[in-house]
Amino acid sequence: MMDKIKFVAEKDKMSARIMNVPGFEGDVFELNFPESIGPTNYSRWFDIIQCSWQEHEDSNWSGRGWVEGEIEYTIDVEIHEDYVDFILRLTNKSDETWEETQAFNCVSARYAPSVRDHECKRHWVRTGGVLKTLIELPRVFGPRPALQLYSVESAPEGKNIPFVEAFHSTPEDVAIEGWMAIRARDGKHLLATVSKPALYTFQNREYSCIHSAPTFGALKPGETGTALTRVYFVEATVEEWYNRMKAEFETINPGEL
Amino acid sequence: MKRRNFIIRIMTGAGGGLILGLPGISRACTRTKVPPGMVLIPAGEFLMGTTHEQVQKLAAEYGYHPSWLDSESPQRSIDLPAYHIDRYPVTNKQYVEFCRETDYRFPDHWEETGPSEAWLVHPVCHINKEDATAYAEWAGKRLPTEAEWEKAARGTDGRLFPWGDEFDPEACCWNRTGRDGITTDPVDAHPQGASPFGVMDMAGNVFEWCSDGPEDSPLLDRAVKYTAFIKGGAWITTEILDLRSAARGNTGAYMNRLAFYGFRCVKEVL
Repeated sequence: MMDKIKFVAEKDKMSARIMNVPGFEGDVFELNFPESIGPTNYSRWFDIIQCSWQEHEDSNWSGRGWVEGEIEYTIDVEIHEDYVDFILRLTNKSDETWEETQAFNCVSARYAPSVRDHECKRHWVRTGGVLKTLIELPRVFGPRPALQLYSVESAPEGKNIPFVEAFHSTPEDVAIEGWMAIRARDGKHLLATVSKPALYTFQNREYSCIHSAPTFGALKPGETGTALTRVYFVEATVEEWYNRMKAEFETINPGEL
Repeated sequence: MKRRNFIIRIMTGAGGGLILGLPGISRACTRTKVPPGMVLIPAGEFLMGTTHEQVQKLAAEYGYHPSWLDSESPQRSIDLPAYHIDRYPVTNKQYVEFCRETDYRFPDHWEETGPSEAWLVHPVCHINKEDATAYAEWAGKRLPTEAEWEKAARGTDGRLFPWGDEFDPEACCWNRTGRDGITTDPVDAHPQGASPFGVMDMAGNVFEWCSDGPEDSPLLDRAVKYTAFIKGGAWITTEILDLRSAARGNTGAYMNRLAFYGFRCVKEVL
């Protein structure tokens, strides 16, 4: 019987671990899903939001988080053979319209020795129709140089997203597709995170973490938006995985999840 | 006792110490006793950072976009007063003494009894800037500024690594194979990695906290000082560029306690 990916949430915290991943023996992946969530000009962080998790009989999980009178979200975690889906639903519990929203979803490989890449040499992205390593792209030396954010080709520029602009670490002359991947040291496996719809991407060298931040669009008071983040753990080259992911995501409509 | 001024020159290599009356440093310094375990860095100018030409050359050689290095430019001459700096990073042995004397928290990875004998001569790690600062105050010292750290590491001539411009894979503790399973080395394991002033372990083993950081900036709704320079590369480093004394790209949040973050201290020359 094939091993199944194991997801374990941390009680009352917006964090979890993924382990027992076929092809990634000994690796543990840390998740902060979401690390921050809400309107992009007033996103709330994990230390403000209350949350709870529930494990289901089929090894899937669900969670809920809230700030009274402001934010409520739910997260459904679905374990598949070589990927995990995170379906997030954000509800505007405030009395103001949110023009743009986001979830700051963190996948860290710092406890995944076969994958971690603090120097970003094995980080992969796609820009202008070409797959590239991250170190080939421009970088901005911001107030926290270990991290970097990138605009997404189909989304507003980072400088127009308050949450992104606040880091002062987004190069203006480049936009990438809404995913990031780290190729394992063996060259045969890949960790990747993809969101739909994606608003921006992020990486932090300290934690060897990558983010594909989904957006829930504009939300009026009482409205709910849905987005998907999928985290892949695959045996594939970057190009093989990319072609598979593109085909899979073409048919996904987050609003129907 | 009458104070006397001497022209001093610092020996290179692990021996260190003062040779009085020799030329080589243009400024007269007051003769002082070097505290145990420390090295005197004489007053004077040094070349800090990386030239634009070096950035272009290094980026092309290692496959990086130049912007990954350009925060190190321009290279500039910085004049510093004399100071003392620890010859080695602070070890587990030194740090556990501090913890026990002050009832300070142990690093997360230590057992309740502290580090085992074999690890006492390794650099302490899992240390954030607050921990490092607390130790320094206890020891009657302080954290170095980035400029002080860099001068102690590369001397005055703008060399890339403490030992020269050519990378020597034996001169420091780094992840040369790009594989898992390596960790810190004893702080005196790489004598060939000595800086021109005889300061050791300034490349690899553990990144080292500095007292200053990039321009302080409130991030999001948290108006706090978030970052401090962290220098020198570490056991986890696979990229030779990050082992250069001028590298600063790993600089992160001051509160983070990571397995490759440590520190050393400086002390004023009185």
